[in-house]
Amino acid sequence: MTAARLYRLIAFALIVVARAEASPLQLRADALATTASPAGLLTLEADGSLDGRLSAEAVVWMGSADDSRPDVLVMVLRAHTADGRASARAGRFVASLGALRPVQIDGAAGRLRLPLQLDVEGFAGVPVLPGLTTARTWNWIAGGRLARRIGDGGSIGVAYTQQREDGRLASEELGVDAGLALGRRDDLGAKLAYDLANPGIAEVALTASHRSKTLRTELYLSYRAASHLLPATSLFTVLGDVPAERAGAIATWRAAPRLDVIADVGARRVDRDVAPDVALRARLRLDDRGASAVTGELRRDGVGDDMWTGARCAARISLPRSFALATELELVRPDDDRGRGTLWPWALAALGWDDGTWQAALAVEASASPEDRRRVDVLGQLGRRWGAR
Amino acid sequence: MKRRALVIGCLALGACAGVLGLSRSTPPSFPHRAHATAGVTCTRCHTGVEATPAALHIPDDAACTACHTKPHDARPCLTCHAAPGAIAQLTEAREHLVFDHKQHGPVTRGDCMRCHVGIAEGDDQLRPPMATCFRCHDKARDARQCDTCHKNLEDTRLLPQSHLAHDGDWMREHGTRAAASGDLCQSCHQERFCADCHGKTAPALPAQRRFANPFTASVHRAGFTSRHSLEARSEPGACTTCHAPDRCIACHMSRGIAGDGRRSPHPAGWVGLSVSDNEHGRQARRDPAACASCHDGAGQSLCVGCHKVGGVGGNPHPAGWSSKLPLTAMPCRMCHPIGSRP
Repeated sequence: MTAARLYRLIAFALIVVARAEASPLQLRADALATTASPAGLLTLEADGSLDGRLSAEAVVWMGSADDSRPDVLVMVLRAHTADGRASARAGRFVASLGALRPVQIDGAAGRLRLPLQLDVEGFAGVPVLPGLTTARTWNWIAGGRLARRIGDGGSIGVAYTQQREDGRLASEELGVDAGLALGRRDDLGAKLAYDLANPGIAEVALTASHRSKTLRTELYLSYRAASHLLPATSLFTVLGDVPAERAGAIATWRAAPRLDVIADVGARRVDRDVAPDVALRARLRLDDRGASAVTGELRRDGVGDDMWTGARCAARISLPRSFALATELELVRPDDDRGRGTLWPWALAALGWDDGTWQAALAVEASASPEDRRRVDVLGQLGRRWGAR
Repeated sequence: MKRRALVIGCLALGACAGVLGLSRSTPPSFPHRAHATAGVTCTRCHTGVEATPAALHIPDDAACTACHTKPHDARPCLTCHAAPGAIAQLTEAREHLVFDHKQHGPVTRGDCMRCHVGIAEGDDQLRPPMATCFRCHDKARDARQCDTCHKNLEDTRLLPQSHLAHDGDWMREHGTRAAASGDLCQSCHQERFCADCHGKTAPALPAQRRFANPFTASVHRAGFTSRHSLEARSEPGACTTCHAPDRCIACHMSRGIAGDGRRSPHPAGWVGLSVSDNEHGRQARRDPAACASCHDGAGQSLCVGCHKVGGVGGNPHPAGWSSKLPLTAMPCRMCHPIGSRP
């Protein structure tokens, strides 16, 4: 079955499902116009379900810029059994298996819940290439994961995936993941991806958090070897393991009922360069619901010759009659400007309106960057939704 | 001096108390605990809770004045004797929860506190946490069937209380959390939520499309276009998580920044005959994805010219290098022609 036929089938299913009126078809259309690229964008979204067991979802778009051809972001048909023990989906979607990187495919995926809290899931399909008319070659990807659920939301699992391009091995990875809720206050998450094509660790991430009434602390660690993240067919995979590492701690403190203060203190290492990685943020909600809020952030980032210091503030003020005013300012100062300007300011001011059915917004964006000494753009958006929400 | 600073600080805090939400001008929550310990049964005030499951069963003034016979104020009692927003939250819960007190009464034998345990601690909200529901409804939890109890979950914007709480730097953390709990993510988020960023056919990122909300989470927020080269070099491989290696050259060519073949973006000393003049080797090991972003495909021949077996560039493999690919496969055969030594 060709991709086009599959999409027609899913579009038909969307209509059939919607007519069942168990859950009416929900539609949304958005038009975005900007003086910067993409100059124009029209997005159409639809989803509907039948008895909660069969559902479909689609997002298609078309753009007016030279490099923006019409395309499909999501077009998927989902089904699951009444008890939720088996589920499947087919079409275009983002497939993700445990510790392995997510990949957008045209294909199918399924999940089966087995006794003893075991889960089996898998997918197979063709990796998506941008452009509906782009010529497809004999590329495919397939993978599977076996996991055991632990508690309310945790699990531990092992995943395997293999991708081939023109029949040649493009990637082969093994992943191990774990997520645990240790009581009501402590969480742990970890993942490891191992490159089997060019043996070596591709990626490791670890996060552990503790929550109290007003404070959440988190420790994190990440390791990434870029050479193992490239397709095995690339010449640049033969250069060995030079990892980029990052470690640190984040504290999120509810200093007052409407004020959150977040401190992120860490360090990163790339090859022989080590540098601090620090950010301090505060967010103040101006009402109980947080409809209006202001935030400020100071940041020290980068490594080696690519370090920079930045400040950012943003505000959103809710106005009467469903209007809202928003503004965002950022100032970046690179340590080594390389003759591309000592300060890179960026600012945006927007006026939005949302009455639940219609949405509209107009904004002015201004910046000075290494690319443009001065730049001003105007952005406009108009959206509408149909169906119950 | 210190005393003056302290006074100014206290005054500033006092002036901002309302904005920070510290002001106690708002009424306290209803004293449920005091009523319970005084021996007032729940259904004495919440009359008809089992008979009219769809109603909010919030007591009216008549229920209060049955005991408090001399009201001290003409306004409705709950104007002052209820936490602000409590009734609105209850209304929202009723709209988005599939729940029937009528079915639960016989199971709990009329013991409301079996589920509403928060009353013992004087909680502001007496709505039981989800874990309380799971004590009996464990099958719904195992099957991740949120719609067993929740209606339009996406619109309620509820976030999990403990595991997977979307706090801190969730943009960085979500990948690690989702690795083990992807099915849990799907219980709230639709396919488009992942595809909005991870989809190769995404036309624009969420922050670009929702530019009127500066609090939309985004990995490419604000002036990312200016910063992207610094961020890419500081975290090699991060771009490859979502983008194909040729993404850089495609964009740079369309903007006329690079890729025209007439100028090199590399500094002096990038390639040379002595070790000190060969910065390109160190940079290539550090971030091979950056090299691939321009030199992948046909551009690889530039490397092969010097680094092929017997070439002047020497062996690019580090010590202990191994691969399961045969020498006849790509990319090995580019430098290892058939018949050459491994």
